[in-house]
Amino acid sequence: MRKGFLVGLLVFNFLIWPLFASDLKLEVIEHKLPNGLKILMLPRSGVPRVVCHIYYRVGSINERPGITGLAHVLEHMMFKGTKVMGITDFEADHALNRKIDELMEKIYREKYWKKDGDKAKVAEWEKEVERLIKEEKKYIIKDHLWETYMKHGGTGLNASTSDEVTGYYVTLPANKIELQMFLEADRMVNAYFREFYSEKDVVMEERRLSENSPGYLFNEQVRATFFVGSPYHWNVIGWMEDLKRMTKQDLIEFYNKYYVPNNAVAVYVGDFDPKRVIELAEKYFGPIPRGQDIEPIRTPVPSQDCEKRIYGEGLAPSQIAIWFHIPPDGHPDTYPLTVLASILTGDTGRLYKSLIKEKDIASMVSAFCRPQWYVGSFVVNARPKTEKGIKPDDLEKDLWAELEKVKKEGVTPEELQKAKNRYEASFIMSLQSPTALASRLGRAELNRGWRSLQTDLEAIKKVSNDDIKAVASKYFVRLNSLTAIYRRSFGR
Amino acid sequence: MRKRSFGLGFILAFILASTVFSQVKRPEELTFPPLKFEPPEPRSFRHNLAQGMRAYIQEDRTLPLVNLQAIIHFGDIYVSKDKAGLGNLMAQTLIKGGTKTREGSQIEDRLDFLGASLNFSVAERTATLSLSILSKDLEEGLDLFFDVLMNPEFREDSLKIAKGRMIEQLKTANDAPSAVLSREYERLLYGEHPLTYQPTKASIEGISREDLKAYHRKYFFPRNIILAAAGDFNKKTLIARINQYVSKWRNQTASFPAIPKNFPEVEPGVYFIQKKINQGYVSIGHLGLEDTNPDYFAVQVMNFILGGGSFTSRITSKVRSDEGLAYNTGSRFTYRWGFPGTFSGYVQTKSSTVGYAISLILKEFERIRQELVTDEELETAINYYLESFSEFFSSPITTMRNFALLELQGKPLDYYKTYRDNIRRVTKEKVLEVAKKYIRPDKMVIMIVGDWEPCNQGDPKFPGPLSKLGKVNQLTLRDPLTGEPLK
Repeated sequence: MRKGFLVGLLVFNFLIWPLFASDLKLEVIEHKLPNGLKILMLPRSGVPRVVCHIYYRVGSINERPGITGLAHVLEHMMFKGTKVMGITDFEADHALNRKIDELMEKIYREKYWKKDGDKAKVAEWEKEVERLIKEEKKYIIKDHLWETYMKHGGTGLNASTSDEVTGYYVTLPANKIELQMFLEADRMVNAYFREFYSEKDVVMEERRLSENSPGYLFNEQVRATFFVGSPYHWNVIGWMEDLKRMTKQDLIEFYNKYYVPNNAVAVYVGDFDPKRVIELAEKYFGPIPRGQDIEPIRTPVPSQDCEKRIYGEGLAPSQIAIWFHIPPDGHPDTYPLTVLASILTGDTGRLYKSLIKEKDIASMVSAFCRPQWYVGSFVVNARPKTEKGIKPDDLEKDLWAELEKVKKEGVTPEELQKAKNRYEASFIMSLQSPTALASRLGRAELNRGWRSLQTDLEAIKKVSNDDIKAVASKYFVRLNSLTAIYRRSFGR
Repeated sequence: MRKRSFGLGFILAFILASTVFSQVKRPEELTFPPLKFEPPEPRSFRHNLAQGMRAYIQEDRTLPLVNLQAIIHFGDIYVSKDKAGLGNLMAQTLIKGGTKTREGSQIEDRLDFLGASLNFSVAERTATLSLSILSKDLEEGLDLFFDVLMNPEFREDSLKIAKGRMIEQLKTANDAPSAVLSREYERLLYGEHPLTYQPTKASIEGISREDLKAYHRKYFFPRNIILAAAGDFNKKTLIARINQYVSKWRNQTASFPAIPKNFPEVEPGVYFIQKKINQGYVSIGHLGLEDTNPDYFAVQVMNFILGGGSFTSRITSKVRSDEGLAYNTGSRFTYRWGFPGTFSGYVQTKSSTVGYAISLILKEFERIRQELVTDEELETAINYYLESFSEFFSSPITTMRNFALLELQGKPLDYYKTYRDNIRRVTKEKVLEVAKKYIRPDKMVIMIVGDWEPCNQGDPKFPGPLSKLGKVNQLTLRDPLTGEPLK
């Protein structure tokens, strides 16, 4: 297998980059199509299956007020067929859809543009839309793409939208990679958004599910307050009113802009011949024209320079969280902060030892460091031991005491080494799962390149106690913080 | 303007489509090279260790890692009602409570320092201690693994912290609607039974260190444990090392409490649990079957078509895709070792469409009981199971664990070898037969967690009241701390 690579290297001129973790060498094969689509391949022996993922550099941060939630709605709509898939007579269906869209535009104008829209007219148009939708059903092949993947043994079939990335996933028998190429190339260029209005209802149900999860609405406000000004301030699901008003034209514009080969990476992990994958990629993705260049987002979080506090109550467990702004992914300060979060969190971490074991005032503690593409956050939080009458506010000084201690004394050499060992071991362990591996490679590729997985590991190994003290002093200050206090109550 | 640009986009894309797919126009035209896969043979991984302990072991040198699991025949249903919660407490303290020679924090600190992970979990009838460690640290890992497995001390400080956590969690047990629904649905179908015992503050507080030790003594012994191991080691050396620990470990006589297998006759109808939320969470069904039942494979295929095959299935297609009523909807059969599982159609939808969504699901139940499924539906379902079969063996440790569970649960070791033939054998007639047998509208309960007024009112497509679906019983939740009905 490995020899095969070297031969392939000469013939196809693709590149093999070793990725080292301790003495571990992992070979990722990279190939770029002329239209800008990047292919990452990691052949592995084992069961004859291949994880096939495709990631687009688009997420909720590419939205704006008014169309929040659109990246995620589009992800749903990408399963609703294309000009090829999901339809028996495209022309007839297209004609019906144009009528439906025209009517829906009139309905939206009446409902959302006017203060007192004509309800009778709306009802009449809605009835007509319902009739057209019924008529359309005779042309629709329900969930054609999904069914095609399923009957060919597709597992892990799914898609997801995050702040920055949208991914489409399937794991197939090793002899069926071509099916994924066909279907993904088709929906990269031919997507056709049938059943848009009922699918928006599905997404609104998805939002309601979140709303019914205790604490969700509070956390949504915390996020909005913390990331104010930047497009990170809304959740991926978007605001309900935007979901209601979103139009098909919004969807089409977004799709045309972001679903282009130069804004995507396809990742393959499993039992396959890379030569064959490249041939297939050239055949299916190759003819898709390159899209326009895409501007990075303009507004990260503006400097805060004040202390923020936010209070809430409801059915979730009482808790306190202190948030700090930190730099984005790849900034040198993120490495000592990552190490520090590892030292504070977990059952052998400082917060557990102090707040749970010694003081016996909390039932749960955690810390995390999350550098994202354009923003970053470092969060410590705790749930009070309410059996002892402790309130979330009471824990604030204890959390700060731990942070202050780090500023003054830093951490012990043993703690530092432990955090580095854990980072490295968990990196190696993450290589066990082909799905997780594909996801890490794809997502890293779209931001700083997949090789950042390796350089990050090297950077983590170099972190010193002085680095940790320095970043703690720099970022753990009140004017850079948001304190979120939530009390459990049955009043609402 | 909008129309024009749309039309233009369409024409361009269409020309493009014909360039892209000059050879292949539809996925149905694709042909694939043959792929042969034979499942691994359990017997070639099976080993008898010292003291009658059994193991499934596979060397795998891909990564410098070792995964090791001890699967113990012990679980929540073997715990008496007054000690409900003991399984969870043991899960939280087996490691943290330390051993005869080591403090819990010493074990955890060391494993963390090595970047290893050691976890213990207790399920209904199995408990699992699992270690994941870099192979260079395996010696030390084995030492800690067997020390924790054989000599736990359940020290008081760890018990106190774990009990505190469990009681904090109990307080929120009625908050998440999905958790309330699944707990109460099972409580209704199984009645008062070891499968449904819930911990209370008193039962948790009443569990002593001695209780934990007694349960450990009774269930943790070599003959009652099967190991699963995979990774970067020499098999012979590993077996010799494990035998060194185990040969000193004394066996007990296995004695499992007799657990009744008769369940109450539940009155069909609507069971409503009031919660001020904007959706209704719904389960519709009754008890199901065991996975050792010869009808199991046909039921799997039938349920795939009905509501288990996600978008490919009828319920998802109708309720979610056509009507936009729900994000989550479908049907499922759950399975448990030695007892029938449950059958349920499920949906979460906004309050006003609860009744309508239920009526659609009931229609699909009826349809699959009355009509043969189509050839296409059957083909898709069968192909899915055949073509995704190798997923059972997606990683060496998964494979070893699957084999260990077959043996523990007394299933035939050729289960995987015959699996695909069992699936292939399912016919349309058989699907109809099992649908009639295992989906029983006359025995159906409809449980709803939601806000009564708007749910009962319904919408124009299904105006209320919900009593149209059957006699309505308003259920009162219990106080999770006391187990007594809430006022």
